[in-house]
Amino acid sequence: MPEEFDREKFDDLAGEFRYVMTDMICRSGSGHLGGSLSLVEIIITLYWRIMSYDPNNPKWPGRDRLVLSKGHAGPVLYVALAYQGFFPKEELKTINADGTRLPSHVDRLQTPGIDMTAGSLGQGLSCACGFAMAARIRNQDHTVFCIVGDGESDEGMIWEAGMFAGHNKLDNLVAITDYNKLQIDGFTDEVITLEPLVDRWRAFNWEVMEMDGHDWDDIYDTITAAQQVSGKPTMIIAHTCKARDCTVAENRPDSHNIKIPDEETFQRYMSGLRRQDYTLPYEVEQP
Amino acid sequence: MTDVPLHELEMRKVYALTLVDLADSDPDIVVVEADLGKASGTIPTYSEAHPERFIDAGVAEADMIGIGAGLAVDGMIPFCASFTCFATRRVYDQVTISVAYADANVKIVGTAPGITTGANGGTHMCFQDLAIMRAMPNMVVFSPCDVYELSSCVRWMAQYGHPAYMQMIRPVQPQIFDDDYVFDPETAVQMSEGDAATLVSTGWTTQFAKQAAEELAEEGVAADHLHYASVKPFDEESLLESARKTGWVVTVENQSVIGGLGGAVCEVLCERLPTPVKRLGVHDQFGEVATEQYLLNKHNMNVEHIKQACKQGEGGAQ
Repeated sequence: MPEEFDREKFDDLAGEFRYVMTDMICRSGSGHLGGSLSLVEIIITLYWRIMSYDPNNPKWPGRDRLVLSKGHAGPVLYVALAYQGFFPKEELKTINADGTRLPSHVDRLQTPGIDMTAGSLGQGLSCACGFAMAARIRNQDHTVFCIVGDGESDEGMIWEAGMFAGHNKLDNLVAITDYNKLQIDGFTDEVITLEPLVDRWRAFNWEVMEMDGHDWDDIYDTITAAQQVSGKPTMIIAHTCKARDCTVAENRPDSHNIKIPDEETFQRYMSGLRRQDYTLPYEVEQP
Repeated sequence: MTDVPLHELEMRKVYALTLVDLADSDPDIVVVEADLGKASGTIPTYSEAHPERFIDAGVAEADMIGIGAGLAVDGMIPFCASFTCFATRRVYDQVTISVAYADANVKIVGTAPGITTGANGGTHMCFQDLAIMRAMPNMVVFSPCDVYELSSCVRWMAQYGHPAYMQMIRPVQPQIFDDDYVFDPETAVQMSEGDAATLVSTGWTTQFAKQAAEELAEEGVAADHLHYASVKPFDEESLLESARKTGWVVTVENQSVIGGLGGAVCEVLCERLPTPVKRLGVHDQFGEVATEQYLLNKHNMNVEHIKQACKQGEGGAQ
């Protein structure tokens, strides 16, 4: 639920998100660290300051929806949902473990608070269009948020959805591109450039905004401004840093899906975090 | 729904009229097309009746499926249609993940199945949709044979809260059932009885199988003809009961013989009652521009071929 902004508290929370997420991923043996760390401030701002929802009733019809189209960033969403009370924090350590409710890629049937399943890239923006059309048909006034990856934006289906949302003037849809400029094979500009990204979305009849995806004020101001846009969907190009604040992984292509074969590697990632003064919110066996 | 006997109408007209009827009383019904609304029959019949619940994604079938998934997860009941080739194989991953895996209550309709797409030729002839959709978990697969079964099937799909796929022939088809018919995916329809062969058909080929069975009966070769409007779930017991009696099974489908109805039949029989089977259909080939009759002849699946195949079982001569 929306709450008062306190910079120190939010900085603390972001650090804790990164600490917990890195521990969860390392503990499970592998995972999508980079694209989860790049979204921390955006997800916190959405879940702490902007979105309406009810953790005790995750399917409350009046809630704002979030489609995490880059479904591999599940860890950042799981931490947000657990900290907001959708499920116990103790469960966070089960990510990718046998029988878990927290799979690597988000699954609406498994995790309370996940609005849409995603993982096969390119599909979530279309699903978000479906959510937005349903709201229009039913005269509901909630916002549908959709987070797409920059690498994901190579998928043609993203642009099909872009054309659809622009044509249908889906102003209840706010999409955010996590533009960390990295994809699995390298820098987006080297693999296949998305530029001119702002002009492309504008050409698809979207309102386009840019923001620093790690600046609290910019994120809040931009997203709330996007919610006020009338007559067209909004695409926010969020300039972010992949694996932000994990110095050994930051801005490196291999941060996309890290492998943790041994304790030494585990500690290398943990000690690479800029802030480590946290206690894990779940019990773990000490090595 | 209409004063005209349904069997005088095109299948697609009845599809659209049924959707209008459903949407009149259920505010959650919504139609999503991909620039083939006229081909599916929903333009103008449905689009003019419920314009606020008619969505056209343009020539973007993947987007159509994703939009359908979003609508469905939010509680609506979308019917998404395109030619079978585009409604299934083109969007197989989108249907697998955003619909079936996510258990989104999307109804997918593949029109002009198999060789009925005629003049559109090889690019549009989809011979594998029954097979690939059947292989997908959390997906039911139907192929109604006439308007009465089609209408009942659409109504059944609307009340079923999970993903479903249905083939739909578009033009007028011979009447096989009537207004009293009720679609039941759990039970095959026994069209005729006999012990010379078990003749299994679905969808468009049921009319030819029915004719073959009738002509065979006149020749004194009575066959059990089972019509499977539902290829999945598959009514195993009716097949086994008949195969136990006849010892010879013939399948005929407007599809590749690999993995579709014939595949389903062979899977059941191999595991539970090994029985010789003759599969009629397209044998691992692509389609081509041609008339339906030419293709039925070419692929050895016309009425005479069906009769000959049934007769091969006479006297246990397998």
